[in-house]
Formats: sequence, structure tokens, C-alpha cells
Amino acid sequence: MIEFLMSFWQTYNTLFYTVLVHGMLALSIYITLACGQLSLGNAAFMGIGAYTAALFTMKLNVPFGIALLAGGMLPALIALIIGAPTLRLSGVYLAMATLGFGEVVRVAFLNMSITGGSVGLNGVPPKTELWHLFAAMGVLIYFFLKLKNSRFGRALEAIREDEVAAAVMGIKTTWFKVWAFAIGAFIAGLAGGLNAHFTYFLSPREYGFDFAVDILTFAILGGTGTFWGPLIGSTILTILPEMLRFIGSYRLALNGLILVLVVIYLPNGIITVKKKD
Amino acid sequence: MKLLIKITVFVAFILSLVITAQAAEIKIGIAEALTGPVAKYGVPIKNGFTLAAEEINATGGIKGNKIILIVEDEQAKKEEAINVFKKFIFQDKVLAIFGPTLSNSAFASDPFANAQKTVVFGTSNTAEGITAIGPYVFRNSVAEADILPIVTKVATKKLGLKKVAIIYGNDDSMTKSSYEIFLRAINAEKLEVVDTETFAKGDLDFSAQLTKIKSLNPDAVFCAALVEEASNVILQARKLGLSDKVKFIGGNGFNSAKLIEIAGKAAEGSISGSPWFLDDPSKKNQAFVKSYTKKYGMAPDQFAAQSYDALYIMAEGIKAIKLSGNLEKDRTALRDALAKVKNFKGVGGTFSFNESRDAEQKGRVLSIKNGKFAIFAE
Repeated sequence: MIEFLMSFWQTYNTLFYTVLVHGMLALSIYITLACGQLSLGNAAFMGIGAYTAALFTMKLNVPFGIALLAGGMLPALIALIIGAPTLRLSGVYLAMATLGFGEVVRVAFLNMSITGGSVGLNGVPPKTELWHLFAAMGVLIYFFLKLKNSRFGRALEAIREDEVAAAVMGIKTTWFKVWAFAIGAFIAGLAGGLNAHFTYFLSPREYGFDFAVDILTFAILGGTGTFWGPLIGSTILTILPEMLRFIGSYRLALNGLILVLVVIYLPNGIITVKKKD
Repeated sequence: MKLLIKITVFVAFILSLVITAQAAEIKIGIAEALTGPVAKYGVPIKNGFTLAAEEINATGGIKGNKIILIVEDEQAKKEEAINVFKKFIFQDKVLAIFGPTLSNSAFASDPFANAQKTVVFGTSNTAEGITAIGPYVFRNSVAEADILPIVTKVATKKLGLKKVAIIYGNDDSMTKSSYEIFLRAINAEKLEVVDTETFAKGDLDFSAQLTKIKSLNPDAVFCAALVEEASNVILQARKLGLSDKVKFIGGNGFNSAKLIEIAGKAAEGSISGSPWFLDDPSKKNQAFVKSYTKKYGMAPDQFAAQSYDALYIMAEGIKAIKLSGNLEKDRTALRDALAKVKNFKGVGGTFSFNESRDAEQKGRVLSIKNGKFAIFAE
């Protein structure tokens, strides 16, 4: 039994790492969804965080904590800069802006020499321990628990339900939306930094449009009524393909089928929150 | 009752001894991209392994031990590659691993195999620095860095090149590194580069770049592209009226039957280099091409040929060791034996590992003649 558990752990510990990183990414998109905004730039923010943190540890030899912080701060800063003009508008403008932004970031990674261009960045030192991820996730869960009944959290909820009404009540809607967007970018960047330090290697193609949609799927599948939804969604979507490995070549088809069934029968996501009247 | 149990246990014990003594199974993990856009490389690679394993097992295995291939899809994603590698090492307890398909994934997954002292053998990883990961990392994919300079040299001499143009895909690690290698070789031959053009993966229209190239009258065009783009570049260049005398010289992407299939007559005369080519008349290769085509209904490509040879090379290594049943010992013994493989005769010619466990294999310069690959010049 102990031997089995040992080999199970040795085999699947990277999967636990990935589950936690994907969980953080799901939370990073949840916070923008919480104020009714759709961001498709979280994969790009993750990429910026991953490259920044990796370059900090590789070229500048700074302590891991500082590299991670830098990996979170830079995306947040960029989010403030692109969020400020676009979030003044209502509607789908953030989705469009972040969609374009993601492509710009990918092409920038491809053409910069410091990121290794299309060849990628190899030899990122393995520094991420499982407890780093658990600690980060613990802090995030605490943050989101506190957020729910805070001034900030209630403002986000009000904006989501009705932006005009929220503005009439005196909520500075743009200010809140920009900050929610920046916090999401920070979380995504942090997840990127942590991810970079256990996979040794970064390449621009990892942070493209496909992955942005994956992140969105985490949140949609789990349900966006509460932050637990995206966490559940990302966990299922990360573990399911591994669990279905025994089916062989049909596993991705079955994976898709399960998703379709969930979407049909649980259209609000796996965790559905009852609306208060 | 107790006695009966004792007897059963005893018999089972003896039986298990007999069975393990008779035919051990040699488990080998195959981690390749079998779904998604990279599957077009991963599937032929898997086919090459499967064919070689069937042949080896049909002729009695390795000293009577059968090879069992455990195939897993790594989707060309680095996290998946790591998961698959760990599954192979800790759960399936394989003797050695082949894969992954892309160099990018190899940079992420190979360090894990190396740390666990398990041989990992790449058949399609051409990036620089793969075998530098550690002493357990091997590959038989001939790096373009070894072949393209030969191609450039031979072509320059035979075609009397003086000024050339270059066109390459700058968003793909493979094509970008071929470009850099070509450029070094071109400079070494003291050729004048009249124009350098780029494109992105998935581009369909190259007429702007090609019109410019045509106006500058180069003697030849160096093209670092994957096969789809390469075929289109050649087709469109001929349509724009680039003279047949201006040959295209390419990297790995040119060495594919698809180039002839898509570009047809326009591909005639295009020059590339590789240890293996489909129409190589050697007996070994003709037998391989025949049985591969029969089994899979299509001609093998370079990737299939390399994986087919790789399993035979691995078999050479396994033959040289005595399997003790102690997996850690066997894995290390295999590493040492594999590093000594020399002068192996495969479908891609004579093969040896060099000191850094990279391929030492003669590249041949090829050109397309009458819709077939043929040796251009030695």
C-alpha cells in the first residue's frame, strides 16, 4: 500500500502542481467575471509573469520570492495601463482589447531576443515547491472569502448585476473594474511565475489564444456565481484527461463529451448559486 | 485446507519463477504527440516504433525477451510530457523511454528521466542542447547543424552559386534555427545574400516576398520552412516566373514526399539533405518502405524511418546487457551499453553515437528528379 502511494505520488505530483496553477488562473479570470467583464488576456498575463519571473531568477539571480513578485507586478501594471481606457466603455470592449493584446504579447515573445524568440527559454531553475503553491492558493482563497462581503466585493457584484444602477448609487464603476482586472492580471502572472519554475522551459506558443479559452472554460464549467466554481472547474478539467488515459486514443473525445453533457445539464456551471430575490 | 493453501501458494510461486525465467517482458515507453497539430509528426514516429517492435518480436525478441511498447499521447504540451514520463518511470516501470515529439517538450520532460537515471531517446528532437540535459539523454535525429552546411557546400560548388536569397519562417523554433544554420553556412562559403524574407506559420500568400526575390536575380533561394509552406513558396515562385535554373535549397521540411505531392513539377530540382530518403535503393530501406506502406497504407517519412531505426539501436543496447530484474541496475547498464553502440546499419545508413550521445551519421545531399528523391552529389 505504501509502495503504491509512493509510486502514485511520484507519478502524479506534477499533476497536483498543474491543478493548483490552473486553479489560480481560474481565479484570475473569475475576478473580472465577478464584475461582468470578459478578459481573454489572462494567458498573456500568465506568459508575461512566467517570462519575467524566469528572467529574474536566471539573469539577475534574485531570490525566488522577489522574482515571483515581479512576475505578478508587471502584468498588473500592464493591466492598469490597458484597462484604464478600455474599461471606461461598457460591453464587450475588454474582451476585444484583451484578445488583441494576447496576440501582441505572443508576437512580442517571438521576436524579442531576451525571451529566446521562437526557440523559447530553456533552463529555468526548478524552484517551485508544492507548499509554495498551497500557500499561494491559501492566501487567494482567504482573499476571495474576505472579498465577498467587503466593500470592494459588493461593488463588483453591483456592477455585474447592473452597471448603470451601480453608477447611480455612487460606485466608481471604472475604478473598480480596472482594479479587478489588475488583480486578475497579478494572480495570472504569479501563476505563470510558479509554473515556469517547475517545467524548466517556456515557449511563446503556450500563452496563445487557445490557452486563454482554456482558462475561460475552467470558469464557465465550474460556474461563475462563486469563486469555488472556477476552482472546481479547473480541477476537473486538469485531472479528467489524466484519469481518462486508460481509454487510449478516444480519451480526448470522451473528455469533450463529458464537457458537452455538463454544459447541457448544468448550464450555469457545476456550482450554481441560488439567486437571492 | 491449510495444506491446500500452502500447496497453491507454492505452485504459484514456482510458476511465477518459471515464467519470469522464460520470457521477461522488456517494457519501453513511447511518449509522442498523437493528437493535435503535431500529430502529423507523432503518428509516423509511433508507426515506425510499432513496425520495428513487431519485427523484433516476430523473430524471437531480444534474446527471447519480448518488447512491449507502452504508447502514451503527450499532445505536444510540456506538462503532458512530464506527466507521461513520470507515469512511465514510476507506474509502468519501463526500461527506457522514447520521445517526446518536440524539442520544446523534451526540454521540460527529459530532466525528469535523467534525474531518475532512465534512458530517454529522442528521435525527432533536433534543437541544440537536448543531449546536454544529462548523460541519460540520447537521440538519433541528425541535427540540421550537421547536415545543412554540407548541403550548402555541395550546392555552392555544383551550381556555382555567387549570390543567393533567403526566405524563412521566423515564428517556429525549427525553421528559425535552420535559418541561422544556413546563414552561417552561407557566410562560410562567402556567398552574397541579396535578400532575406520572412513569413509566419500558416501564411498562404508569399507573392510579395517572392516578387522582391525575383527582382534581385539570385542564383538560388535558401528556404527554411515546414513542408506546407515550403511547397507553397516553390509553387508560387514558379508561377511568378522565377526561372527553373534558380533552385530552392531547403532543410528538413523539404525532405518529405508531401513536397512532391503538393508542389508537383515545380518541386523538380529542389535540393535538401538527410541521412534517409524514401527512394534510397538499399535493400534494408526498400524492405522497410514496403512493409511500412503495406501496414499503414502510406509511404513512411523521415520521422518514421528515424523511429524505426531507433528501436533497433535500442535493441542493440539491450542485447549487450544482462537483464537482472533490478530495474535501477538495468536502466544504468542500458545507458552504458547504449552509449557504446557503433556502426549500426539501419535504413538511414551507418549510425553511431558520438561522445555527447548525438547521432553520428552521414548526411546525403538530395535533389528531386522526375518526382523522386535522388542523390544530388556526394
